[in-house]
Amino acid sequence: MSNNNIDIVKVIQSKLGDKVQIQLGQLGTAAINVSNGLHREVLKAMLEADEKTGLTAISGVDLGTTLGVLYHVHTSNAFVTIRAEVPKDNPKIQTIVDLIPGAAFHEYEVSDLLGVIFVGNELKGHLVLSENWPEGIYPLRKDVKATEVKLSPAPEEEKAPDIGKLVKIIIGPQHPALLEPEKFAVTVDGEIVTKVEPRIGYVHRGIEKASESRTYVQDVYLVERICGICNACHAYGFVAAVEKILKTQVPERAKYLRVVTLELNRLHSHLLTLGHAGLEIGYETLFQYFWRDREPIMDLIELTSGNRVYASLMTIGGVRRDIKDVDVPKIKTTLEDLRKKIPFYRQVYENEPSIKARMRNVGRLSREDAIKLCVVGPVARGSGYDIDVRKDDPYEAYGEIPFNKIVYKEGDTWARMNVRMDEVEESINIIQYALDHMPKGPFRIDVPRNVIAGESISRNEAPRGELFYYVKSNGTANPERVKVRTPTFANIPSFLQTAIGENIADVPPNFVSLDPCFSCTDR
Amino acid sequence: MIDIWLILRILIFPGFAFILLLTLFCDWIERKLEARIQNRVGPLVAGPAGLFQPLADFIKLLTKEDIEPRDAKKTVFKFAPLVAFTIMVFAICFLPIDGASVLSTGGFSGDLIVILTFSTVASFLLFLSGWASANPYGTISSARVLTQFLGYDIPLFLIALTPAFIVGSLSIFNIASGFTLASGQLVPIILLAPWAFVLFIITMQAELEKDPFDVPDAESELVGGVCTEFTGAKLAFLHLTRDVQIVFGSALVVELFLGGPYGPVFFGVPAFWYSLWFVLKLLAVVIITEYITTLFARLRIDQVLTANWKILLPAAILSLMLTVILVHWVYPLV
Amino acid sequence: MTNTVTWARVKSPWVLHFNSGACNGCDIEIVALLTPKYDVERFGVKLEPSPRHADVLLVTGCVTQQCAERLKRVYDQMPQPKFVVAIGACACSGGVFQGNYNVVGGVDKVIPVTAYIPGCPPRPEAILDGVVKLLNALNPPKPKKLSKQEKQAEALKTEQAKQAVAAPEVVVASQVVKSVIEEVKPIVKQ
Repeated sequence: MSNNNIDIVKVIQSKLGDKVQIQLGQLGTAAINVSNGLHREVLKAMLEADEKTGLTAISGVDLGTTLGVLYHVHTSNAFVTIRAEVPKDNPKIQTIVDLIPGAAFHEYEVSDLLGVIFVGNELKGHLVLSENWPEGIYPLRKDVKATEVKLSPAPEEEKAPDIGKLVKIIIGPQHPALLEPEKFAVTVDGEIVTKVEPRIGYVHRGIEKASESRTYVQDVYLVERICGICNACHAYGFVAAVEKILKTQVPERAKYLRVVTLELNRLHSHLLTLGHAGLEIGYETLFQYFWRDREPIMDLIELTSGNRVYASLMTIGGVRRDIKDVDVPKIKTTLEDLRKKIPFYRQVYENEPSIKARMRNVGRLSREDAIKLCVVGPVARGSGYDIDVRKDDPYEAYGEIPFNKIVYKEGDTWARMNVRMDEVEESINIIQYALDHMPKGPFRIDVPRNVIAGESISRNEAPRGELFYYVKSNGTANPERVKVRTPTFANIPSFLQTAIGENIADVPPNFVSLDPCFSCTDR
Repeated sequence: MIDIWLILRILIFPGFAFILLLTLFCDWIERKLEARIQNRVGPLVAGPAGLFQPLADFIKLLTKEDIEPRDAKKTVFKFAPLVAFTIMVFAICFLPIDGASVLSTGGFSGDLIVILTFSTVASFLLFLSGWASANPYGTISSARVLTQFLGYDIPLFLIALTPAFIVGSLSIFNIASGFTLASGQLVPIILLAPWAFVLFIITMQAELEKDPFDVPDAESELVGGVCTEFTGAKLAFLHLTRDVQIVFGSALVVELFLGGPYGPVFFGVPAFWYSLWFVLKLLAVVIITEYITTLFARLRIDQVLTANWKILLPAAILSLMLTVILVHWVYPLV
Repeated sequence: MTNTVTWARVKSPWVLHFNSGACNGCDIEIVALLTPKYDVERFGVKLEPSPRHADVLLVTGCVTQQCAERLKRVYDQMPQPKFVVAIGACACSGGVFQGNYNVVGGVDKVIPVTAYIPGCPPRPEAILDGVVKLLNALNPPKPKKLSKQEKQAEALKTEQAKQAVAAPEVVVASQVVKSVIEEVKPIVKQ
């Protein structure tokens, strides 16, 4: 049940108005400056008022003598940032893992990259940094130069102690099932999984640090390459945050063109996942069919932007290229052809016995767990937790385009795949509506090279879920801090929970159903 | 006294060389069929229409460096693939291919049980090779191989006994000739017990570890399955053993249900026509099994075992009982 | 005999794909090679799951620190003869991520590379072209059978080349000295 009428800022004001400082309109609906552990009080008040409160991200910022810790919290109708600060010589702050279990990974990351110690949830080892990274050096601090870090020799890999009849299977960095490297140590008892220990960080390229030494325009191309599959959403997230700082009004035509690009991105990503799921359960024929139908979409992306994968259409102030009127009929016919094929795939998912045997009741995630672990995207919508940034917090032209939010209640792998299939059809509808109602006019405006000092956030619905950007500028041509929270980073803890108690053979389809993208996770 | 004729039969036709070429040809048929169903083309460049692709794979594997892991069990690791291949080829030598088997005897009573046992031993050697390669993926995969083929051997034997009951003999030659009706006409067993044919195809699918019973070879969980650690010549023979098993299974279906190599003889030497019918029927069975492979996803190991113990085994017993009833009371009247 | 072996190796290259820290762009283009539109199985290329089975290692991604060790291990596990293809701008040199703190930058800093395929990401046709070029390079070109006149012309050319090599050494050296003096003069005058 969503309490759409709760004014969360009023709630906080009434409970803690004298102890905290509330700035309306900053970093979302409001920014709340707290000190000394009061962030837990604010969170408790919010959780009591609205059950759909969840953590979107924790940003760590180097502020000179102190480290800023920003908690970005979303509720059913608002987005609040809680700002806390810790001194650099004693960077300790209370953890919130007992209030919101999904915060664990976020806290680990801030500990790893900035050195903040969350009392009650300390990080052992490294999360995204490599094992030969020297202790005590935190890359995102301003005094650390990227090229001058001396790496320590890698520690000896300890042999795992014998745990009786439990066998540890390493689904390792090189694995045919995974397109990307990351390690999962799965402990099995016979065939049943008892524990999953992830090791991420194989794809950590230090993009957040690199963005601080490049200009804003260069950064658009850099953050786009965080992930090849959802690249338009990354570019959009960064561009939208910068435009909020500059307070630019993007022309109407650019808004609709951005919607077309984002939805084409969603189409190709969903078809990719649906095919990849077939490969995981040994259904090669389905994989080939889905990827065959994905190729016309890649042709459309090439038609609108010039490149198959990296459209690079987003730029600060609008889009880089226009869609010519002569191209619109081709786009529409290709989308209609794809729409005609969807009933075939629907009936495969409905009637095919081997798919149902492998996907039904696999990886069950209940609605309560989904809310507590703060999952996003089709994983949340497949468990009955209906969040969709396009509807909850409309951006660009999404507020004017009618479409449905797809929610399934079963919470298993089959439901998540069906969510994606239905979203394919919705995306086709959105693109056709946008092409029909495209306003005329310019598609980009000029913006100054130096961005005035300020900070802002942006959220958008990437194919995998809510993508969050926090950008802080300092008046120069380079940003001060760019923080990215990707949807897979929020969804991985749910996999660690749903895999337990199931067959080892269920791990691949379960894993693919949350559509993991580790290049997004590690950045 | 050395019989040149027998040696030629063993080495060339219908012996070793013929079986090898037939195996490579069936591999090509499978790859092409799978590609066409998936809207692709399949091997095209190696030879005309990609015909020499399996041969190129085999030769390339033979010339690769042979790596032996330090912790592997040496003797088993070295010899299991070759011995498995040899046993499978030996098993095929008992089947009538051109009217007579390779060893050019008329078969003997009980050779059906003998060749089914050979197939079991070869599968057991595959299990051993996975277990001997000190690799966690190999170990788990070999455990699955063992569970699967031991489980499915029981319905396999039971269903294979159905034609034996109908014909009243355990000799493959007699079963392949078919059942003599009261009118004196010979009919293949498939017309008399079609349910057994369907069950046998499904059981064969599981014995050969093809989709939907592809579990031991599950790439997404177990990397390379049983042959993860093997390279070079040993890998070549492991792959070849898999392919020869497919030929053997299909040949068994042909002999037991489709009337073996016997068919109408139009002119000239009957041996030529018998071989032709045998190859055509074999290709038909290979195509049927490959269709089933591409059309289904892979089942989990517990679903595979449920399918065996709860569905296939009772069905096999029922089929045998039905056959016994039919043979004693119905067929003598026909 | 070696001809048959080379023919077999060229017609049946089995591929292992390893992502050493890539953004996924190159990887999805590699997987797209298996799909009906590009169908790399025509050339006998099969995507193998285990390093022990593969001949060609396709590496994508700027090598991150965490992956460098694993990449070396996977390369060592492959049996000879083996080839490495670096796919994408990141694998060739580090690409957009050069200089980042966690990035080694370029596959050839870790393992020897046989072929480079640039692009961000390279189109599937470009990857296919690169793989086919690698395979053709394995087949050394057969020496052409020359007729008698062609053989005489070849012999004459080699003689002339031998003479020409000895002579210009002095000339070239003096010309170099002259050009250097020309360059230095205006600077010295300033």
